[in-house]
Order: sequence, then structure tokens, then C-alpha cells
Amino acid sequence: MRSLWIFPGQGGQHAGMLKDVDPALREHVEQMLDLKLLDTDVAYQDSVQLQVGIELLQVSQINSLKASGLKPSLVAGHSLGVFAAAYAIGSLQQDDLFPLVKRRAELMQGAYPEGYGMGVVVGMSRKQVEDLVAQVHSDEHPVYASNQNSEDQTALSGELAAIDQVVKLAKDHGATIAMRLKVPVPSHSPLMADVATKLSALLESVPLTKPNGIYLANNTGHAVRQVPQVEADLSGNLAHPVYFEAMMAVAHDYQPDSIVNFSPGRPFRKVLGQKFGDLHQVNLDQMSVSDVEFLLNKWERGTN
Amino acid sequence: MSEARNWATHREAKAEKLSSVASLLNGKLAKTSDAKAILENLIAPGDKVVLEGDNQKQASFLSKVLASVDPARVHDLHMIMSSISRPEHLDIFEDGIASKMDFSFAGPQSTRVSQMIADGSLQVGDIHTYLELYARMFVDLIPNVVLVAADKVDRDGNLYTGNNTEETPVIVESAAFHDGIVIVQANEIVDKVPRVDIPADWVDVVIPADEPYQLEPLFTRDPQNITELQILMGMMAIRGIYEKHNVQSVNHGVGFNTAAIELLLPTYGEQLGLKGKIVPNWEVNPTPTLIPAIESGWVQSIHSFGGEVGMEQYIAARPDIFFVGPDGSMRSNRAFGQMAGQYALDMFVGSTLQIDQYGNSSTVTNGRLSGFGGAPNMGSNPTGRRHSTPAWQSLRPDNDPLGKGQKLVVQMVETFGSNKRPVFVDSLDAVEVRKEAKLQNVPIMIYSEDTTHIVTEEGIAYLYKTSSMAERQAAIEAIAGVTPVGLRSNPAQVADLRARGIVAFPEDLGVNRNQATRSLLAAQNMEDLVKWSKGLYNPPAKFRSWS
Amino acid sequence: MEKLHFNYAATEKIAHPVHIGVVASGDLEVIMKPTTNSESTLDIVTGSDGFKEVWGNVLTRFFDRYPLLADFEINDFGATPGVVNLRLTQAMEALKNE
Repeated sequence: MRSLWIFPGQGGQHAGMLKDVDPALREHVEQMLDLKLLDTDVAYQDSVQLQVGIELLQVSQINSLKASGLKPSLVAGHSLGVFAAAYAIGSLQQDDLFPLVKRRAELMQGAYPEGYGMGVVVGMSRKQVEDLVAQVHSDEHPVYASNQNSEDQTALSGELAAIDQVVKLAKDHGATIAMRLKVPVPSHSPLMADVATKLSALLESVPLTKPNGIYLANNTGHAVRQVPQVEADLSGNLAHPVYFEAMMAVAHDYQPDSIVNFSPGRPFRKVLGQKFGDLHQVNLDQMSVSDVEFLLNKWERGTN
Repeated sequence: MSEARNWATHREAKAEKLSSVASLLNGKLAKTSDAKAILENLIAPGDKVVLEGDNQKQASFLSKVLASVDPARVHDLHMIMSSISRPEHLDIFEDGIASKMDFSFAGPQSTRVSQMIADGSLQVGDIHTYLELYARMFVDLIPNVVLVAADKVDRDGNLYTGNNTEETPVIVESAAFHDGIVIVQANEIVDKVPRVDIPADWVDVVIPADEPYQLEPLFTRDPQNITELQILMGMMAIRGIYEKHNVQSVNHGVGFNTAAIELLLPTYGEQLGLKGKIVPNWEVNPTPTLIPAIESGWVQSIHSFGGEVGMEQYIAARPDIFFVGPDGSMRSNRAFGQMAGQYALDMFVGSTLQIDQYGNSSTVTNGRLSGFGGAPNMGSNPTGRRHSTPAWQSLRPDNDPLGKGQKLVVQMVETFGSNKRPVFVDSLDAVEVRKEAKLQNVPIMIYSEDTTHIVTEEGIAYLYKTSSMAERQAAIEAIAGVTPVGLRSNPAQVADLRARGIVAFPEDLGVNRNQATRSLLAAQNMEDLVKWSKGLYNPPAKFRSWS
Repeated sequence: MEKLHFNYAATEKIAHPVHIGVVASGDLEVIMKPTTNSESTLDIVTGSDGFKEVWGNVLTRFFDRYPLLADFEINDFGATPGVVNLRLTQAMEALKNE
């Protein structure tokens, strides 16, 4: 089987999402980080609880699938999900992953005061959005075109007042939807360069191995097979747009025969439908791990 | 007097290379496990190498072995490939085994090709149409080594390539007669091949592959996915083009628009009384959607560029129609098929992703460099043609005493694509891609001057009838719907164009839009096609939804 | 979900009601009824938001070519402009062929 495993970032979290996580793994992580994971809606307001919680959930699911003999040929993490992706493809070790993620969350939490965040524009090309952004952006009121989740969906990152201006321009120029997102940090823009530099320094002492398959990089949208590019993505992706649509287009060129969507949430339904049609897909957010294992094994047997 | 020149340098170099692997060969046969060693010894740095990535057949075993060679020994290869289809075809550039690529089609790897050109890891010589690339293999891209795939090979090295012969003969010939080295991966070594497609004399090394070569059913279209819009357009095309111009020979570019036409011949074509009057002769892959028309007596002959997975038994049972050898299996040939497509056809019908306001079309969009494949050849007017047929002659301009006919080149598109973006645009994405990909010219698939007809859900624009670019643009605007191009159309102009027969709406052709329903298709689904074929067609697993 | 309303000048009165298409994914339903008004009115319910301008363009083009005088009710489930045009012109044809 040539399976594409996709790991979402923040957005789909909910209270109780950790209930099926392997208890031994959870305890190990909590001890290692000296952190009790509360798994409540209130707790998920805190960056560290949120990011470590999501990665714990994904790592637990990865371990379970691998224990039943399944493995990915391609991995695609979105933002935070890149860490689970690097783990799943064999580049990053489990015990290196969690301290990294905790530190990332701490750095992000303190990085920006109120007044910064993200937005989204739907129904315009990236070029069109970039033209509007260029009209508004200034050093005092920065705004950038950031994540590209599908061809006609471009995110904005920066100062909220500047984002609001771009949103208004977009609506005037025929965008179907243009609005702020509930994200309090200007992620995936040059404004996060400081955090990226600090993460990069941390990664220097983390041993990474050659991916055992294809790792799809956020910051370039490229398929990578070598450690330096994986490392660059893990540290740098916060300061660059997530070129998710390009990642999916390249993944398509590798002709996967199945897609496994990891928790939490199902944020990529539309772009996956556009790129892959009715290719076999499973969603760990909706199915138990054992059901997913059953289906993937069944499809593998049925393949010519 | 200068020293005598050595006129046999290629021959000597080849002999030396082959002697370096003599201990690994039994006659011409090698062991599967020695494949890497053989490639490392026979391919020199900087060599021109053809790797058989055909449209459908891929020398997948040799492709993987090539990607595993030691870059310290084999590097800076100049690849010549008709189709960049597999991930390894690009991995060899990332890993320093190859540095330059001349190719034709890159559809299956279009995103990665674009990325690698942009970041400099892939240097492109040029992009070609298939026939053009084959032609250069005899002129300025003469290969040093060719890596091809065969079904069965006998112990002398005679090759049987069968239904999926495709471009193997032209690739092998270009090497065999200029001291290039011919390396073949074989599905099977047999005592006797069913027929000899390529003689052993032309072959140097045969390596049994570890699994059968990759083969894709690229031309199979499930009738279930044909939409009413495509049916309406198909009806208009049959009435307004096939019938009107008395078309006798045709190529259908792959797609649902042409699949719809194929399935409308036995029903709508029959209603119009056209059976026996149009399209007896075809140059096209053995696409399953042609089965009802064949069984109903519409078709006299089909020559094919390649095979189609699942059609083998049906073809073998219809040797009057297809090009079947004395052994009972088909032989395809892409080079001859493209030649036929150029000079021997009345008409090419295809589809595209974008058409500009002037009628130029392209499948290249931002970030996806899909290359050209066969369309620029099939969709161009051969000015070297001299023989006249009714359809070709019907396009002769009235006002030129030295005039001659023209090949019908038809583009069929809906005004908006499935992503709700307009197909008709003021300027092609290809203009930007030319800069991104550092190409000499804008990668246009089919030029406006070669496009004789455009069909959309609104009607037909008979571009060949226009007498100026302004008139050509107006004709396009009349059928370009509510795209930015179409919105420039004005009712007075449209009425005038209709009156002069330059634009036709369905009602002008006598086509009834309410008749454009799926029940008009001769087959509604794959199961129907199997029934039409009397059980001889065997759809590949991915098209079987009922078993 | 959006409700749109349009008026168009029209001259060709229709003799009786007509109903074309279905509210299936990618499709739409066009219901035309005779009217005593002096211009055509159109009430559109669509599942895709933000396409008012495109609807306007499609309808203007349709009425330029086929100035049918009627009350239109259109229920749309994400049809492309090409499919919208198909259903409208099928409705026009159904009336002409009676």
C-alpha cells in the first residue's frame, strides 16, 4: 500500500479528545515534561496544553497503526502536525518530539501581545490576495498572505487592523468569503521569525534520521527525502506559509492509494476531495483505530 | 598529412562497455540481481539516456534500478523521456544521477517538475510533442543508452512487446544503428515469443524484471461520469461538425467529451441516419467506450498508439477492426500513430484547460507543468499534406486560387471548469509559466491559427470561417458564457455571426437540449460496456464497482 | 444559503408553466410560471454564497438571447454557470416545442 498520512494542526481540538490515548504513553509524556494534561476546553486555551495534547493524540494513533503493521509512504503535517509527521516517517524520535513541541508552544504563547492574528480569503487566487496585501502592508501595520490550503483559499497573518483592511478590500473585489480567524497569533508569517530562530537552535541538538518515505514540507510545498530539509521545515515552518495545496498536489503525483487523516478534526475535506476525488480515505477523528486498521488491511488485500 | 581519423569511436566504446559486463551475461541474458552493476558499467557520466516512460507503459524496474545507482559512478546524465510519470524519474535529478531532461509529457508529475525547475534541481533542455522527440533521437538527441520494457523475450533476445508496443521500436532503432546500448527489462523469458516485435540483433542486454512493468489504463472512461453538458456538446459536435463536414477519419483526444461522442454514435448518430456515412477510420487507443460503436457497425479500422488494460481479449476477437498480428495479439505503435495523426486524419477532437481570447489553448497552469504529449501534433494543420478528402477540402478558403484544405482541429470545453474557474481567459497562465520555467516560448498546446472549431455548452464557433482576428475573437466571445471573455459579447454581433453561420447555437443545428440526457448514451456504465463486448472486455479492478 | 432577486425586461410571454431540472448536487431546478407583470421576476435560492454577480451575468446573457416574460423560481445546489445555462435554455426549449 502507498498510504498518505495527514496530520492537522490546531483547530479541531475538543475536551475529552485524549480519552483513547495509550495511558502508558500519556503518563510517560506527562512525566517527561512535568506537565499534567487536563484535556478540557479551558485547558485548551493554553498553548502548551493544546499543542502537547494534539501531538500526544497523534503519536498515540501512529503507534497503534504501526503496531498493527501499517506504515506511511508519504506524510503531510499541517503547522503543528509536522512533528507527528516527522515521527511517523521515522525522522524524529518520540522522546525528542514532546520537549520540542512544549518549547514551541511556550515560545508562541509569549510571542505576540493582543492585536495580532489571522484571517482568510476565499474565492480569489493567491496572486490576487498578494496584490491586496501589498496595498495594505507596512512595517507599522504588517499583514502577509500566509497559508494556502486550497487553490482559492488564502490565509492572512499579521496585525488585526491590517487584516481587517485586507478583508474589506477582498470583499470589494469579489471574494466569496473574507474574515478573521479565531487564531490569536500571526502564525506562518515573517513576524514569527524570532520563534523560528530559537526553535532552530533547539533542533541543532536533536538527532534526525533520513525519512523512510516522503516528507511533505510546509514551507516550500515540496516532497523531501533528506534530513536538512526536514529540519528546516520543523524549525522554520512557523515563519513561512503552509503551502498545503502544493503539498497535496505533489502527494498526488506520488499516486498514493489511500489517505489516513489523523485527529483532531477534519479540516482538509474540501481540498482532499478536489485533489484526490474518491480515493480511499479514513478519518481517525470519526473512526476507532481498530476500524481504520481493518479498512486499510482490507483495501490492501483487494488491491491488484 | 594529418593522422588518419578513427571513424569507429562509438563502436569501439560500445564494445569496451559490453566487454566490462561480459562475465555477468549469458548470451544477452543477465540476472535480475545484477541489474545495478550492469547499469553502473554500461552507462557513462554525461550519457544521453532514454528511459521508457511511455504514456501507458513504464520500464518501472529499470527506472528503480537507475535511481539506485551510485552517483559517484553514474552522474550528469542527459535524460530523454517521452513521459515523466514516476517519482524515480525525478528522484534521479535530486540525487545527482541526472542533470538535464528533454521530454514531452509530465502530467503525472507536473507539480514536482514545476517545483524542481523553479528551484534549479531540474534543468530542462526543452519540452516537445511526442513525434518531435522521436525525431530528434535520430538527429541531435541520439541516445548512448536506451532502457526499455518488453513482455516476453526469448533466449536469443528477440522481443515481444504485444499490445503495448508503443514507442519501444522507435527508441530501440535510434540506439541500435548508432552504437547505442539497448537494455531491456523483460516480464518473462520464454523459449519462443508469440511473434518478433524487435529482433534480437537490435538488443544488447536483457534483464528479467522483479515484477511486471507498470501499465496504466489511461484511456478508460466510466460512462457513469459523463454529464448532461458533455452529452449536449457531443450532440452538437456530431451534428454540427462530424455530419456537416463529412468526416471520415478521426482521433479522439482522451477525455469525457470524446467518450460521450463515442457513446452517442449508436444512438444519436443513428437517429440522424449517419451510420456508414461518417468516421469509419480511427487513429486512437482501444478505448472501451468505442465498443458499442464498433459492435453496431460504425467502425472499419482502428490503429492505436498503445494498448488499453482490459481490452486485450476483445481486440483479439476483432482482428478486422484492430491492428492484430498473425499471432492474434495487437501491435500498437506511437510513432506511426502520431504520423497518421498528422497526415492521414480529417479531424482531431480534444479538450483543454484554458483558451485565451484569441483561441490559443493550453493545459499548463501555474505550478503544474504538464508538458505537451501528442496534442500539438494531432492538433496542428500539416501544411505538407497534399491529398484531398471531403472534410479537409471543406475548409478550403473560397478566395484563394492556390488554396488548399485544412485539418479540422476541434477543442471542446465547458465555459467553466470543475473548480468553477473560467476556461476562457484574457491571458493564459502559460504566459507566467514560461517565465517560471525559463522556457524560450510560451507553452501553448494548440495555436489559434490551427484551431478550426470550438464547442462549448452554448454552441459552436466555426473559427475557420472568420476573416480577421477581431471576428475570431467575437466568435469565441459568443460561446464563452459568462467568463470575462464571454461578457464582452454583444447581442447584435452574436446575431450577425449566427446569421452568417460563423456561430451556431443548438437550435441553429436542430439539436434539442432536452434530449441531452444520460439515457441517450449507448452504455450507461462499465457493466453495459462489458455486455456490449459480449463479455470480452475485462475492466481493471479500479473500474469495477459492482463485483 | 442565499436568496437573490432579479428583474429583467422581457417581451415573450409564456403560455403555461414549465419545470426543468432537480435540486441535486451540482444541479438546479427552474420553475417558470406565466405572469401578468410587464417584466420578468426571478427568485433564486442558492446553496453557494457570494455568487450574486455571476448569477446576474448568466441571467443578463440569457435574457439578451431569450427575453421570456415569466415569474421564475430557481433552487440551486451549486451548479456551474454552464449547468445553469443548460437548465434555463432547456426550459426555453420546452416552451417553444409545445
